[in-house]
Amino acid sequence: MSQKPQTKKVDYRLVKYSPWLVHFNTGACNGCDIEVLAALTPLYDPERFGVKLSPSIRHGDILVVTGAVTKKAADRLKRLYDQMPCPKFVLAVGACAIDGGVFSKSYSVVGGVDRVVPVSAYIPGCPPRPEAILDGVVKLLEAIKKGEVESYGCD
Amino acid sequence: MDATEKLRLVEGFALEKGVLKPNRKLFIVKPEDVRKIFESLVEKTGYEGFYLSTITGTDLKDENKVSLDYYIVLLPEEETIVIRTYLPRENPVVESIIDIVPGALAGECETYDLLGVLFRGNPFLKRGFFTPTELAEKNVYPLRKDSGV
Amino acid sequence: MYDMSVTKIVEIPVVTTEVPIGPQHPALHEPVMLKVYADGEEVVRVDVNTGYNHRGIEKLCEKNTFYRDIFIVSRVCGICNAVHANCYVRALEQILDVTPNRRAKFLRVLSMELERIHSHMLINAVMAEIVGFETLFMQIMLDREKVMKAKEILTGNRVSADFMIVGGVRRDIDDVKKEKIKEILLKLKPRVEYYVKVFEEDETILKRLIDVGKINYRDATSHSFVGPPARASGVRIDSRASDKYDAYDEIPFNVVTRNEGDSWARMMVRWSEVMESIEMGLYILSNLPLDGNPVPDERRLPRKFPPGEAFTRVEAQRGELTYYVMSDGKSQNPYRVKIRTPSFNNIVNSAFMYVGYSLADVPVILTSLDPCISCMERVTVIDLEKGTRERIPFKQLSSGGKR
Repeated sequence: MSQKPQTKKVDYRLVKYSPWLVHFNTGACNGCDIEVLAALTPLYDPERFGVKLSPSIRHGDILVVTGAVTKKAADRLKRLYDQMPCPKFVLAVGACAIDGGVFSKSYSVVGGVDRVVPVSAYIPGCPPRPEAILDGVVKLLEAIKKGEVESYGCD
Repeated sequence: MDATEKLRLVEGFALEKGVLKPNRKLFIVKPEDVRKIFESLVEKTGYEGFYLSTITGTDLKDENKVSLDYYIVLLPEEETIVIRTYLPRENPVVESIIDIVPGALAGECETYDLLGVLFRGNPFLKRGFFTPTELAEKNVYPLRKDSGV
Repeated sequence: MYDMSVTKIVEIPVVTTEVPIGPQHPALHEPVMLKVYADGEEVVRVDVNTGYNHRGIEKLCEKNTFYRDIFIVSRVCGICNAVHANCYVRALEQILDVTPNRRAKFLRVLSMELERIHSHMLINAVMAEIVGFETLFMQIMLDREKVMKAKEILTGNRVSADFMIVGGVRRDIDDVKKEKIKEILLKLKPRVEYYVKVFEEDETILKRLIDVGKINYRDATSHSFVGPPARASGVRIDSRASDKYDAYDEIPFNVVTRNEGDSWARMMVRWSEVMESIEMGLYILSNLPLDGNPVPDERRLPRKFPPGEAFTRVEAQRGELTYYVMSDGKSQNPYRVKIRTPSFNNIVNSAFMYVGYSLADVPVILTSLDPCISCMERVTVIDLEKGTRERIPFKQLSSGGKR
């Protein structure tokens, strides 16, 4: 995944106004997971952006991935990504999802979500605050509106 | 049976005694005595008299042996004692205690998969349960010092 | 193929728990945590496979220096990071023969107790959601944010505190922060009392939790259960009371036990522990010793570790957490670090608890053992009679599979 996304004027209306998130943990310490969970509670009010947790992968728009990708979880991640309907985007949350974090040299860690699926946005932090996670989602939505992000694997 | 009597029971099997920081009484025993110790603890004090906290294995490559520790917490005093035994590194085998103490399942399965200690009599031991399949297929035990991971 | 009359198989996949280090299960096809065999709605057998995330932490610790391992080890679990770091640091202090001063000990206990409060509130919120009480889930999560704020004031971060270092803690607090944390704890107290009342009186919760997953004293000790699941069956074990590490010999507290041994007792033990932790937090803030700077000079920390070994225990939120650290005196890296997390014992040895209960009770029992919250995944239900295979959310299983 090294080419720059072309600015295609694709209509991502469904995603722009009400993105449904699917959360997947590929071997995290749960620090990022509880912050993702906290980001969906009333104090941070994600529903003002239309952000909701989706009941199933078939209805998901944005895949939120946490965790240093362990070798077994990598297959599941790929399968999950393939099952998502287009247009689809991936958010890598936390230092471990970006490049493996502190576990990058371990024998059972692949090291980074972008080695398995194409990633649309990265949210650094260990763990990132819930505000940062929501900020990342909003910035991704802005970029989608402007057509700066492409949904890979769709055509 | 109070703590001193339990300790005396275990001491009967000990080849050597020591102290593990901080203040844990350490007893070094023969590998074949491990099961006997648990059998007599269960018989004399019942299950309510202790619980098995942890099983730890360490690869002592330079001394050509594997040390296996059983950490037991005596109840109700809640005193932690350590039973240590040494196994030959080439073929570390010890009798499983899973039928006497069902709580040993977790520790025995882990020590088998990561270090290669065979607990004879445990039907749940499986390779590739904890280590990634590719390493398990190559017969690699990750926690051994010469495993190359 | 199945010797008993099994009509349904339910696979509950879990990719994570806080067990991470040792056990993990890159099993056969999918990391399945619980494989439940059911006859109609009644559970006849459960296989607990460890579908955990094996990140090879114990091996990783051998490749890094003793001090770097403090940071690796606190990322074993984000919810328990303070207790992991504390146990490891105390093992190092045993090997080095270093004792922190009283103020550092008090601050360490404060950060661990705040973590206990937030974790217990989290699992109780999850339990409320499992039995269908969504409003209570949102309410508890909202109050939990106060505790996260208190943690941030004390340690600088909401989750991964990185607060512990050999010889003390990494930052001190002044009077302004002390007052703020005290205020938060005082505001939290009546809220927790209200939640205790809800759990004691609400019909839904009582009906779903009482007499579900009952274990007695003998089951708890013979299967090596630790923490609230053991204390709810009358086993009076608490590493804080027995080892009296850090400042627990000076701070008064009670070990909470109950006798019912069912899921309700396990959740109530956790609420009582939250009340105890709030009292301990207030005591610490009013009696913080002034015997010097709790932050050691990091440049003066010993570089050479003498040979030695130590076995430390800590009372984590989920139970007794143990660390074994061995140094061979020849390098700057530890020779062996062994971490045994409480969920390892509680979850792996728990297969016998589910038999005889209905399928809808399985999520309740699993949650009462406090696995990690990411277990809210999709569950596969294989109906052998109808020959179907469907995926439903974990929560739906607890409502009997009906939407």
